[in-house]
Amino acid sequence: MLACGGAHVVGLTSSGKVLTWGRGNSGQLGHGDMDCLLSPKIVMSLESYCITQVSAGWSHSGFVSDEGCVFTCGDGSFGQLGHGDYRSHCSPVKVSFFVNKHVEQIACGMRHSLVLLKDGSGNLLYGFGSGKRGQLGISIDRIKSVNAPEIIRGFDDVQIITITANADHSAALSADGELYTWGRGFGATSDFLSPQQSPSSSKFSKVALGWNHALVLSDNGEVFMLGGSHHGMLSNPEITTLSKHLSDGAVLERVPGLDGIKVVDIAAGAEHSAIEGAIKIWGWGEHGQLGLGSTRDETSPQTVSLGDEVERKDGTVRVYCGSGYTYAIRTFCS
Amino acid sequence: MSYDDVEIEDMQWNEELQAYTYPCPCGDLFQITKEELKIGEEIARCPSCSLYITVIYNAEDFADKKSNNNLEPPKRQAVAVA
Repeated sequence: MLACGGAHVVGLTSSGKVLTWGRGNSGQLGHGDMDCLLSPKIVMSLESYCITQVSAGWSHSGFVSDEGCVFTCGDGSFGQLGHGDYRSHCSPVKVSFFVNKHVEQIACGMRHSLVLLKDGSGNLLYGFGSGKRGQLGISIDRIKSVNAPEIIRGFDDVQIITITANADHSAALSADGELYTWGRGFGATSDFLSPQQSPSSSKFSKVALGWNHALVLSDNGEVFMLGGSHHGMLSNPEITTLSKHLSDGAVLERVPGLDGIKVVDIAAGAEHSAIEGAIKIWGWGEHGQLGLGSTRDETSPQTVSLGDEVERKDGTVRVYCGSGYTYAIRTFCS
Repeated sequence: MSYDDVEIEDMQWNEELQAYTYPCPCGDLFQITKEELKIGEEIARCPSCSLYITVIYNAEDFADKKSNNNLEPPKRQAVAVA
């Protein structure tokens, strides 16, 4: 799998090895230097661990091992590495706060991080880094930043199974399929300093966050969006002005145009979105991140062609969105 | 359309670029120099794309000689309630 950050990528192989590439000027690639890399390179200092989950933020990275250890590297100037200071690291450093705990997931946002412990150890969720928009969820007060993990409140009776973070947003899904979001408000809504459950009759199985929207997939394969009122209109100010009154971003709205498609997964870049099943994509296209052969924005899901040769063979496709780019990985059946 | 409104204290001083920067969704950085701030410019542009942000700052802080605020890592805890 891939974790796509601001301008770097963390790749995780099926055998638990980590490769990184892209921008490295904050140490986010974890190779012990601040160099950028044009091609994937194995992170040697994690070679002795079996890594099970990775995350890429704007300029920091997180890695979780099968033994429940969590490592971070990259920009630490907001405390987002969780080591109790504001230093940056160019090699992965184990977060000592969690040494006697079993970490299951890490999620890296622009300037903050979330950590989910394995169920059974109390199912605790922690946040660290910048909290100015409420994205840490650790206090009812507005916290500028914390450099060591603190417990996120509001999940006492809720079993969280997955977490995600992007920009100044945070989100979690419960085992019962409930969506919780906190941090910067979507659209015209104000910031949430603590986790809020989004009212919906649907149960959700996946959540992906952009910089101004959340994308969620329901158990029955429907895709909903929270915020994103200018999704696919960034390069077209006139439409944006018109659309401002359509949605205030406070409620989940079903993404139209996906009828009859069995959506199996979702991905969100800063300002674009993708679904798997049939590969469809929409949003901001200025940098070619939609893969449609143009740099146009798209307000509704468009089908991506992976080429005849690829599509003729049996296999599965996974789509990963970084801030302004997209990866599709095709795995062929042998 | 301005992509976002960003307070100067949320921007980071970049020694190499000699500019205050803030992440752009394209992966590059919105940038504004002290000279621009001094003359009252409030738009920070991204060199890689069409997007720009509006910088919120107090003009007096930059009007005279350079100020040295905003450069320290955030260390203060808890202020204000929602």
